[in-house]
Amino acid sequence: MVQETIEGINPTRMELLNLKNREKLAVKGHSLLKEKRDALIMEFFNILDRVKGSRENVERILQEAYDDLTAAQVRMGDLAVQKAALSVKESVDVNIDSRSIMGVVVPVVESKIESKTLVDRGYGFSDTSVKLDEAAKKFEEAIKLVIELGEIEKTIYLLAAEIEATKRRVNALEHIMIPKLENTVKSIEMRLQEMERETFVQLKMIKSSIQSKS
Amino acid sequence: MSSVAVIGDIDTVTGFKIGGVKKGFIVEKDEDAKNALNELIETDISIIIITEKIADNIREHINKKIGSDVLPMIIEIPDKFGSSDRDVDPMGELIKRVIGVEMVK
Repeated sequence: MVQETIEGINPTRMELLNLKNREKLAVKGHSLLKEKRDALIMEFFNILDRVKGSRENVERILQEAYDDLTAAQVRMGDLAVQKAALSVKESVDVNIDSRSIMGVVVPVVESKIESKTLVDRGYGFSDTSVKLDEAAKKFEEAIKLVIELGEIEKTIYLLAAEIEATKRRVNALEHIMIPKLENTVKSIEMRLQEMERETFVQLKMIKSSIQSKS
Repeated sequence: MSSVAVIGDIDTVTGFKIGGVKKGFIVEKDEDAKNALNELIETDISIIIITEKIADNIREHINKKIGSDVLPMIIEIPDKFGSSDRDVDPMGELIKRVIGVEMVK
């Protein structure tokens, strides 16, 4: 294995101390990031439980709603359905708050969808079919589920992005930064020992030359 | 308090209007969908419901506009012809990439 070191560092005691501090910091950061990653993955699993099957559920209810809508269109005609749709009152209101999971800001949606009675919907009865009522009911239900699904999917998406970033950082520290620092520390230590021995030999030689002269 | 908007074909928008979402954009061309999306992002709409087919067509545009922002939330739904057949389920793919193994389904 190639022992990679950080280049351009002088083998001095000051640098050695600095590097040792950096190594300590890197190890600490690595363990913290690892904890963060584990916590994020745990959160991720919690949310995965919620997403299970909810997309299928939404798709099924939407399909039913579309079927009813088509039936209504067949009975009343496209234009009449559109006309009725125009007179339906706005009833979907959402309140978006945010929550922080290990520093990841995720949305929390509070949807206020009033369940409406026939009269509240706002279209006339004389020229509408009962199928339209059914379609309206299904769509109201579907919208609620769609918004819930959106919240969950967005949360998963954001968490996944954060997990990936954290993973990358953990790996970079573990496999590149920390070994590099360790190797550099080792090489500087070796270099310093070598220098010590050199000086020792020089001193010995000087001593012997002085002794032989006197 | 903010509200919800729909971008989709005429039937989807009509359906959601009956359900109580009044802001609907009926789009047929990709260009219209992009414009509608831009307009919605500028206002304080926080949830945009869009049909999968349109979303697939303007995927790059959506990614560029939204990126990893929290709001607005874009929710993709199938239109009345059912969900588009995708080669990969994006959510499943994402989970697989993050966890390393297939978890759901």
